[in-house]
Amino acid sequence: MNTGQDKADNELIHANIELAFQNGEKEKRAAELIIANKELVFQNEEKEKRAAELIIANKELAFQNEEKEKRAAELIIANKELAFQNEEKEKRAAELSIANEELVFQNEEKEKRAAELIIANKELAFQNEEKEKRAAELNIANEELVFQNAEKEKRAAELIIANYARSLIEASLDPLVTISATGKILDVNEASVKVTGVPRKKLIDTDFSNYFTEPTKAQEGYLQVFEKGFVADYPLTIKHKNGTLTDVLYNASVYKDDKGNVLGVFAAARDVTEQKWAKDLRIANKELAFQNDEKEKRAAELGIANKELVFQNDEKEKRAAEVGVANKKLIFENEEKEKRAAEFVIANKELAFQNEEKEKRAAELIIANKELAFQNKEKEKRAAELIIANKELAYQNEEKEKRAAELIIANKELLAFTYISSHDLQEPLRKIQTFGSIILENENDNLTEDGKYNFKRMQLAAGRMQQLIDDLLAFSRIATTELKFETTDLNIIVEDVKIELKEIIQEKSAVIESKQLGQANVIAFQFRQLIYNLISNALKFSKPDRPPLISIRQRTIDGETMNHSRISSDKNYSHISVADNGIGFEPQFHERIFEVFQKLHGKEVYGGTGIGLAIVKKIIENHGGTIVASSQLNQGATFDIYIPE
Amino acid sequence: MKPEKLKILLADDDTDDCIFFQHAVNEMQNTPELTIVNDGEQLMHILNVESTSLPDLLFLDLNMQRKNGFECLLEIKQSSRLSNLPVIIFSTSLEQEVVNSLYNNGAQHFIRKPSEFLQFKKILHQTITKHTALRNILQPLRENFIINITN
Repeated sequence: MNTGQDKADNELIHANIELAFQNGEKEKRAAELIIANKELVFQNEEKEKRAAELIIANKELAFQNEEKEKRAAELIIANKELAFQNEEKEKRAAELSIANEELVFQNEEKEKRAAELIIANKELAFQNEEKEKRAAELNIANEELVFQNAEKEKRAAELIIANYARSLIEASLDPLVTISATGKILDVNEASVKVTGVPRKKLIDTDFSNYFTEPTKAQEGYLQVFEKGFVADYPLTIKHKNGTLTDVLYNASVYKDDKGNVLGVFAAARDVTEQKWAKDLRIANKELAFQNDEKEKRAAELGIANKELVFQNDEKEKRAAEVGVANKKLIFENEEKEKRAAEFVIANKELAFQNEEKEKRAAELIIANKELAFQNKEKEKRAAELIIANKELAYQNEEKEKRAAELIIANKELLAFTYISSHDLQEPLRKIQTFGSIILENENDNLTEDGKYNFKRMQLAAGRMQQLIDDLLAFSRIATTELKFETTDLNIIVEDVKIELKEIIQEKSAVIESKQLGQANVIAFQFRQLIYNLISNALKFSKPDRPPLISIRQRTIDGETMNHSRISSDKNYSHISVADNGIGFEPQFHERIFEVFQKLHGKEVYGGTGIGLAIVKKIIENHGGTIVASSQLNQGATFDIYIPE
Repeated sequence: MKPEKLKILLADDDTDDCIFFQHAVNEMQNTPELTIVNDGEQLMHILNVESTSLPDLLFLDLNMQRKNGFECLLEIKQSSRLSNLPVIIFSTSLEQEVVNSLYNNGAQHFIRKPSEFLQFKKILHQTITKHTALRNILQPLRENFIINITN
């Protein structure tokens, strides 16, 4: 069983070794774990730092977001504020323009009001003056009334005295009577009533003479009184109603007013049937005479007093009426004054209000004025800039005008040259030719062959000079004549040219084909010259051994399809081509042939001045078109013309 | 019966041209009667004297002193007495516009003064002969207005 024990020991040993290995492994693992832990701790710390940093960064971002939101909110508010301010400004501007109009209106109103107030003040001043006058008049009227009352009292006292005189008369036993100038009874006393038996009232205003037995004598009596002023002891007999007769003696005298006018006769009758009363009567007569005097005085005074009273009454009534009117006037004026005062109060309030408004408006206007002043400055700046610009333009215009004037002068000079070359230069040249021809004709026999030859050369030179002048003239005319475009039938132009050239056409048996020709907008006179020059050119440069064939075509082309600097792509062009079967020219000369005085051949071979094609080019330029020449030597030439339709 | 001589009036201020013209006329058969004036005023004066008979043909230069040929043509064609007188313009220069204007104002023919004396004679003879034969006072068609040398 040892084996078993060994085996068990072995197993234990192995187990211990295994455990020891495992322990070693565990320790290694533990050391690794410690390192790993430290690493983790470090990483955690780092992570925490990072986290802390992130938190700070987040806070920063959050803060920034908030700030941005605040800013955005502020901007929104600011925008709203600006929008509001803009609206307010627009309103204010509208108000200012209205306010300005209002101020103008108010100023006008104030001026009107002031004018009205001035008038009202004048009216019031006038009314015050009137009132003072009225018051003065009332004072006078009152004084007058006081005076009249005093006068009335005096009159009343006088009337009392008059009544007293009357009672004296009544007390007399003698019949007393007053007679008017016409003999009517004015008054009687009671004694008269008794002696006639007629009541007093019936006696008054009847004829005095009616009551006497001898009316005529009675009449004579009182007429005597009027004549002489008195009568004494005039005998008459009074007739009573019941027939009783009373013999009386009349004593009578006139009585007068205070001015001495006779008013009537005062007559007293004394009954002479009872002479015993004679003495008494005398006394009574004296008394009566005295009383009559008194009465006359009183009567005169009363007359005056009555007149005065009547006058005073009238005056009083007038015065009273005037006072009434004056009072009414014063009442009315007072009312008017009150109204005016009330109006003044209102007007003053209105003015005060307007002043306030004006001050407000003035403040607004000041602001508006500042704004306007600013705008004015801006405008002045603008104006100053414009002035400079204008000066510049004016200078440029002047320069242009100078240039134009120079051009006009140059044109005139050119025209003058044209005229000189057309007439004055040709004239002597033609004379040279003509005289030359006369010499050649008339003196032919006298000349040597050399002389004849030289003369012919001279004639040829003169002829060339004439051609040169003609061509130069044509060239300058193309440059100076008016450009008058009209729709023209090209067939007519070609036919005209054919007629003009018919001799050379016949001579050379030339054929001119013109197909599909239509109308074109051209300067007819110039275009005719162009066709003439091209056809005569083709005839001139024909091959000696072949009849010339010239073909003319026309068609419309779109500028876009052409690639040429002088052709604009947005226009349609009329393309006219003139092609011939002549001698042509080397291609390198296709531009040079259009230059003035450029010739490809000597003048002995082909005449001409080298101006014809230059004229052609000039005409095409006048039409805003272009011309292209193409050829190969001895293979004919083609001239392609393009003019805008 | 001897035919009446043709009466020709020439208005030209150029002495040489007048000499050429006289030579050319002298060489004609049945030599026409030629009168020469040297300016437009003289011409109009002669034409306006009622007593003198009018010429059969007037050759008129354009460029003259005092009164030019164009003015003379206008006066002649506006005068009822003179308007039937055939006027042949005889000038150095040939300008289409001037020629048109002359035709429109009633000139009978336009002759450009030739530089060859032979041609000078020829064209003058042609014109005068043609006129003597036709006695035509009507204006020709425009295309026949300018007289060229025909060989």
